[in-house]
Amino acid sequence: MPRKAKRTSATTTDEPKIRADALRPTLDLARQIYGQLSLGEIPRMRLPLRTKQNIAFQMREGVWRLGKTMGTRSARKLDGALMLLRTFYLVDFINEMARDNKTSTLRELYYISEGWQEGKFHSEDESNLLVEDLEVLCERLREDFRLHPEENGASVIGDLTIRERNRKGLVKKINCRDDVGDGGYALPSNVEKEKIEFVSSGAKFIVAIECGGMVDRLAENGFDERHRALLIHLKGQPARSTRRFLKRLNEELHLPVVVFTDGDPWSFRIFASVAYGAIKTAHISQYLATPSAEFLGVTASDIENYELPSDRLTDQDVRALQAELTDPRFSTADWRSEIDLMLKNGKKAEQQSLAKYGLNYVTDHYLPEKLTEMGVL
Amino acid sequence: MAPARTIAEQLASKQREISVAEFFERNRQILGFDNPQRALLTTVKEAVDNSLDAAEEAGVLPELMVEIAKEADSPDRLRVAVTDNGPGILRREVPNVFARLLYGSRFHSNRQARGQQGIGISAAVLYAALTTARPARITTKVEEEDAAHVLELLIDTQKNAPRVIREDVQIWDRPHGTRIELALKAKYIRGRQSPLEYLRGTAIVNPHARIVLVEPDGTRVTFERAASEMPRIPKETPPHPYGLELGELGYFLKASKRPTVLELLTRDFEGVSPRAAKDVLARAGLSPGATPGSIQGPTQEALLEALHSVPLVAPSSECLSPIGPMLIKRGLRNVLGDVRPEFFAPPVSRPPKVRGGFPFLVEVGLVYGGGLPADQPMQLLRFANRVPLLFQQGACAITAAASNLDWRRYGLEQKGGNGLPVGPVLVLVHVASTKIPFTSEAKEALAEDPDLDKELTLAFQAAARHLKVHISRRSRRSFAQEKFEIIQKILPRLAEKTSHLVDQPIPDLTPVITRIMDVVSLELQLTNEEGPRRAVLEVTNYTSRPRVLEIFLEAPTEILGASAFAPVPEGTDVGMGRAWWTLPKLGPNERAQIVLTFSKGTDVEASDLDWYVAGVDEAHLLGADPLPGDWDVRLPRALIEAAETAAPTDPDSAEGEVDYDAAESEAHVGDDDG
Repeated sequence: MPRKAKRTSATTTDEPKIRADALRPTLDLARQIYGQLSLGEIPRMRLPLRTKQNIAFQMREGVWRLGKTMGTRSARKLDGALMLLRTFYLVDFINEMARDNKTSTLRELYYISEGWQEGKFHSEDESNLLVEDLEVLCERLREDFRLHPEENGASVIGDLTIRERNRKGLVKKINCRDDVGDGGYALPSNVEKEKIEFVSSGAKFIVAIECGGMVDRLAENGFDERHRALLIHLKGQPARSTRRFLKRLNEELHLPVVVFTDGDPWSFRIFASVAYGAIKTAHISQYLATPSAEFLGVTASDIENYELPSDRLTDQDVRALQAELTDPRFSTADWRSEIDLMLKNGKKAEQQSLAKYGLNYVTDHYLPEKLTEMGVL
Repeated sequence: MAPARTIAEQLASKQREISVAEFFERNRQILGFDNPQRALLTTVKEAVDNSLDAAEEAGVLPELMVEIAKEADSPDRLRVAVTDNGPGILRREVPNVFARLLYGSRFHSNRQARGQQGIGISAAVLYAALTTARPARITTKVEEEDAAHVLELLIDTQKNAPRVIREDVQIWDRPHGTRIELALKAKYIRGRQSPLEYLRGTAIVNPHARIVLVEPDGTRVTFERAASEMPRIPKETPPHPYGLELGELGYFLKASKRPTVLELLTRDFEGVSPRAAKDVLARAGLSPGATPGSIQGPTQEALLEALHSVPLVAPSSECLSPIGPMLIKRGLRNVLGDVRPEFFAPPVSRPPKVRGGFPFLVEVGLVYGGGLPADQPMQLLRFANRVPLLFQQGACAITAAASNLDWRRYGLEQKGGNGLPVGPVLVLVHVASTKIPFTSEAKEALAEDPDLDKELTLAFQAAARHLKVHISRRSRRSFAQEKFEIIQKILPRLAEKTSHLVDQPIPDLTPVITRIMDVVSLELQLTNEEGPRRAVLEVTNYTSRPRVLEIFLEAPTEILGASAFAPVPEGTDVGMGRAWWTLPKLGPNERAQIVLTFSKGTDVEASDLDWYVAGVDEAHLLGADPLPGDWDVRLPRALIEAAETAAPTDPDSAEGEVDYDAAESEAHVGDDDG
């Protein structure tokens, strides 16, 4: 199949200006606290709250970003005092890494804190949250702090040619259909332009898929080639690099994105973090979210219309759906009726339940029908 | 209804018709011999109760040895020996005491005692004989004799009569005492409802006894004596008409040698004044000069009814023997030492009350924290006349009263405000009475009764109020501990870290510390190591301005009297249990100490020492309370002003700011990645 419709890459609108002098804000923070201590004030910092009550829709970018409600982290309370102390162990650590020209991973950071005495993290959640706090406070990205996630992002299968500069500095040109094995092209944690350049693509649209089994099913059935689709495996909740990569493809190559997940409350959240931005990373939504992404399914009505084998919603599922009803990202009429319908029917279904009608059903009937309905095909 | 006597009497009257073996088989369960574990516990219990009663009656501090050993070649048999230092038993009484059912000295006596019916120990002897065909071996010596009598006894199950199998006289190396040895089908267990639990409970409420247990594997458990005072020996009082039943009245009338019924009522009953007696007789339609023997049939009933309706003087409580607050505390501390409870509530000993015709009283001890399990329901130790109740907790009036109290009001968790509360708390309940209202002859649980319930509830409430104060002080302390952790551990590191990052010297942290704490803190440490016991009070001014503080101590007179102070108090009033000091002016972050040294043998808990402070208002005081107004102490003018002008509130403590670290947590759930 010939490669055609080469698209040229465009510039991202809001790419953070970084690298140069990346760590100065961290020392400004230290200066701020030192100043408070010298004046006899109780050390404190103000940060925007990262809660679902404090995200606001940004018309310009079309994404949900952090609102204006601020919280205070103060040494008056034990938790606050601990997080302040950890902040400066972290600042010290990343400044040291910069001097030694080293990088580290979030998981390593958790273990490095073993040497921080009182400041030791109790869980990896705590260390991840603190790094995000520092991103917000310093208006920098964790990559600027030389910190990377442990696990790389998703895999890509389809007609996309990229140029990647690898660890050794060599530039490799890779086609994500012809130059890779069955596992596809694995995204590195850094998917920025200096690392990955888009060369060309024969794809017309992107299907972002929750489960690996479904990616394999589509690839085995030749769906990507037949319909000129780029398949991206989300691996559950997508990593930052996956979301960033989707956004770049969407903006630079103008490829529409559809999200294909299980039909349950957790999958709704996967879609929300792709399309609207996750609450925890709302401070960088403009950089990660793809507002034009659309939810393909499995929807609550699919479960009925296609008579899919389903499971009963658990109590936890019901609570998750109810929480979504108060989440501003799901406050549209469409989402409300979808959530209400799922609550009413009390059913959820996996992507794989489509196999009830045979292995080809999803590629021959379900996806073409849905994609036609959505105007993608 | 008074089942104890009537049933016993019915049983006694039928003795010729049924053999005691038959009687025993029919009543195994209520007698406590329904399975091998239970049989062992009952045997130990009956022997121990008898030994304690005997020693107390003779005015001797009880010294008991309970030995339980395996029988060589029969795995389901044990050998039990209980030895006491009681007065011993006269040779002629021995067969009847140990080998005849329903024989006892206390059956008709109206005072508090452990055993009542005289079934217990002979039932054990009978059980032993029925299960092993071996006689009981009794060794006993009274002080007046030079040697001990040793008797081997069986019960003639046809005649309910003792049979002496062998008899001997031997030298015994103690002035007086009794030892009973039995071989019986039994099983030794530990844990709930075990002999060890029973003896532990017994040791708690009998701190004047020393009890040694030797378990079958040779382990030796000793409950040392914690008090050397004997409990008051209850006085025997005549019966009170309120508790009287028709049959008993008939017995009294028939047996009386008094010439007139008036004399009988006023002399042989308690609480009947001559005037009341006349009222009673008038109401019953009887002449005061009638002879007791002439009153029969319906007139007996009329007399009883009149006795129950005319107001009489309440029964006296001299026949009761409470444990008393001090000994409850000592007993609990002695036996729970390894649990190290953090709080002993002052025990509650309610005044005697009357139920039916019988006086009773309720005592409660409460212990909290330490090694007691925090996630379990309250442990309830029930006692009746100093005997632990190990069975039927769920069916007992004590449990019911504890379950019906809303413990949530006193700081404990309790689902829906009833049922036993959950928490690290142990409660001892002792009910003393000349007649304990047991639910059944097995004497395992108390029957519910409005008067008893009321007393139990009042006693629980009194103990719980102390618990509430302790828990609220404790939560203030844990709030303070958090702050201490901030200022002592975290803040210095934060200063060090930021100073290093900005390459500046570490600033003086005093102003920040006082701002975070903003309290005057009193910390007490009790040391109980080698040498004399000491209490060190450290007073730290963690506020932002200098303060002159006056410290007041209130403590029991016997503790204050046994204390040496450094520095010397400005004043003391040992009679009132008070001492006070004016400390030198303390600047921010400065501290001073007061040291108390107690003379040897003084019993001191942190909860015995109450501290009060003048010179700072309540909101800025930690580890003490402000000086109560009723102390009537004339304070220097400066102190009064200091206490009245509340410190200015810290500007950045303004409420309304959202705590970032408290608000964040809900956002993480399943929303995001790495």
